[in-house]
Amino acid sequence: MITTFFKHEFKAFWRSKNAGKNLAVRIIMSLLILMLLLYVVAAGFLMDLILKKVFPHDSLIFSFCGIVLVYFVGELFSRIQLQELPTLRVQPYLQLPIKRNTIVGYLALTALFSVFNLWPFLLFWPFLFKVVLHDEGGLAVISFMVSLFGLSVFNNYLALYIKRKANLNGWVFLVASAVLILVIMGDTSWHLYSIRNISYLFFGNLINHPVLALVPVLLGATMYYLNFIYLKQNLYLEELSTKKDKYKSSTEYPVLSYFGATGDLVASEVKLILRNKRPKSALIMSLFFLFYGLIFYTNPGLKHNEWMKLFAGMFMTGFFIINYGQFMFSWQASHFDGLMVSKVSFVNFLKGKYLLFTTTSTVAFLLTIPYVYYGWRVLLVHFVMYLWNLGVTVNIVLYFANRNAKRIDLSKGASFNWEGVGATQLILSFLLFLPPFIVYLPFKLLGHPDLALATLAACGVAGILTRGYWINFLEADFNKRKFAILDGFRNK
Amino acid sequence: MIQVKDLKKVYSGVIVVNIPQLEIKKGESIGLVGNNGAGKTTLFRMILDLIRPESGEVLSNEKPVAGNDHWKDYTASYLDEGFLIDYLTPEEYFYFIGGLHQQTRAHVDDFLAGYTDFFNGEILKRGKYIRDLSKGNQTKVGIASCMLQTPELLMLDEPFANIDPTTQFRLKAMIKEANQKGVTTIVSSHDLNHVTDICDRILLMEKGKIIKDIATNSTTLSELEQYFAIGGAPTPAAPIIDEEENH
Repeated sequence: MITTFFKHEFKAFWRSKNAGKNLAVRIIMSLLILMLLLYVVAAGFLMDLILKKVFPHDSLIFSFCGIVLVYFVGELFSRIQLQELPTLRVQPYLQLPIKRNTIVGYLALTALFSVFNLWPFLLFWPFLFKVVLHDEGGLAVISFMVSLFGLSVFNNYLALYIKRKANLNGWVFLVASAVLILVIMGDTSWHLYSIRNISYLFFGNLINHPVLALVPVLLGATMYYLNFIYLKQNLYLEELSTKKDKYKSSTEYPVLSYFGATGDLVASEVKLILRNKRPKSALIMSLFFLFYGLIFYTNPGLKHNEWMKLFAGMFMTGFFIINYGQFMFSWQASHFDGLMVSKVSFVNFLKGKYLLFTTTSTVAFLLTIPYVYYGWRVLLVHFVMYLWNLGVTVNIVLYFANRNAKRIDLSKGASFNWEGVGATQLILSFLLFLPPFIVYLPFKLLGHPDLALATLAACGVAGILTRGYWINFLEADFNKRKFAILDGFRNK
Repeated sequence: MIQVKDLKKVYSGVIVVNIPQLEIKKGESIGLVGNNGAGKTTLFRMILDLIRPESGEVLSNEKPVAGNDHWKDYTASYLDEGFLIDYLTPEEYFYFIGGLHQQTRAHVDDFLAGYTDFFNGEILKRGKYIRDLSKGNQTKVGIASCMLQTPELLMLDEPFANIDPTTQFRLKAMIKEANQKGVTTIVSSHDLNHVTDICDRILLMEKGKIIKDIATNSTTLSELEQYFAIGGAPTPAAPIIDEEENH
């Protein structure tokens, strides 16, 4: 049965309307991943040298034992951000004579097929064979392997569990990330405890008491079981956590009626965002990313690094544009036919998008004003990037929106609807970050950082002032692609 | 009102619509019948500029629909749930549609007051989004929003399919009434009784072609029944791509 699932999954991938785009993205992704893996393998083979350099006073095995747990904490953090959830459209299988456990087992099992699970092996195994085998013997190596495996499995399923929960409720992501950051800060900034020491306590004892290797395995098994149970419960009810019979009242936004027809369109889009789980978590995420500046600005090493300010400024004032805009107009896929035949002019439709983005970006900019604590320059850079986002990023996002014909079904519950979540979209959005640096770089190299900022701001202002032109351009561009988009959106 | 010239649509080598010439006059009531895959929905979509024909064109009031917006002012249509904004409450949706036609909320409320019976207490003020409504009730919302636009041309694709018998009778009366006021109506249906009842002109489609174009009279129903019972029985050898059910 499991092999049949694999076959179906394979067909679904190749036969989807956007297979070409998916494939291109996947090839780029796998190249990047391959490169990363090469680095990791190299790091693994050179680990003894690296450790000697970083901790010259400690014995090799001592310092090795110290870093293992540190690695896994870092890994968990990146897993939560990047790991993709395995998908299978379970609905068509549910009423067939297939055991629930098989379906859930498949979903839970395929979760192990992630590059993240390769890392610890590539990174630590060379060291185990090079040093530990020689110094401590075979049993120690095996106990290390077993516990590394257990921790990987644990991390894997913990990250997926958090991601699944976060799909239902954006706050989970916030809380989980905040807790992890606090755990890391507790060590690095406040020195309340040392993850290294805890790591040494466990792995140091592991060498003498190999039985301890069962502890991580047990943790991993428990986490797997938790995932299994969670999936199994959610297989029954699409929306376990939301009360379906809540009274849904009509709302209106009087401010928006001031903008006429455009305002009406924005009002219905605001409702789209607030009433559907996926766009709603995009909104919550962009609130969360307003704290990204803390990571950069609190770091004394980056204090005078303007690149970082540029990056942070763009990210914070434009996160919603990037995160919500990359799925445009797919959000409206389910009623796009209706929009096309009703008396909505596409110009107003586009104006609505601009209005929405301008509003969210302005709010984000206003909320980042407290960063002025780290210097006036920070505020200046934020403002420049805010202009850039409104003048340039918005146009790029809308240009690519005309090239997106992938349907997103908002009416489906979020719990089994993971299309487009994960690293692929993140990398696409990183492409948006290149242009400002391309503009900035030459001036900076010539030693005129102020001129660079002025140019960026000028680009932004020019983009904003020429919006009428861009709207006409995008409308003409859309009319060329209209039928392909409509067809893609109809393709459930 | 509507002129179709040399209209052709091909899906993967199979011609799904092929209409050399068709004219629909103002005030006519057209019934479109045909088995699954005959090309009814595809024709609707081309009249509404939702898919690009391989060749030919559709004129609405002497102007091509493709690339133009003029027809949106007087055309109201409901083909499927894809025409509804499903995360809005029905009221919000009606206000939205009304707003597009410069109608005030009071006007929309007035209009809706006349639809109390039609809605049967299941649509308004129920605290539900459109997506939480049953398919039949969604159809009701779609039909009512068409009427709200006071169109000159009304297009409904299988409006009788999901609604209860009472509403079917009400809908028939509504379409007839609109027609008497001069509205051009195009309705497709699998229910031969209904179409012969409300339409003065029946277009019978088979494999993309209009093979019969008849003015309704007392023998029309039996004529159609005869076609569907014997003449139109699908030959199992040729697989038919069912555009309507597979979209």
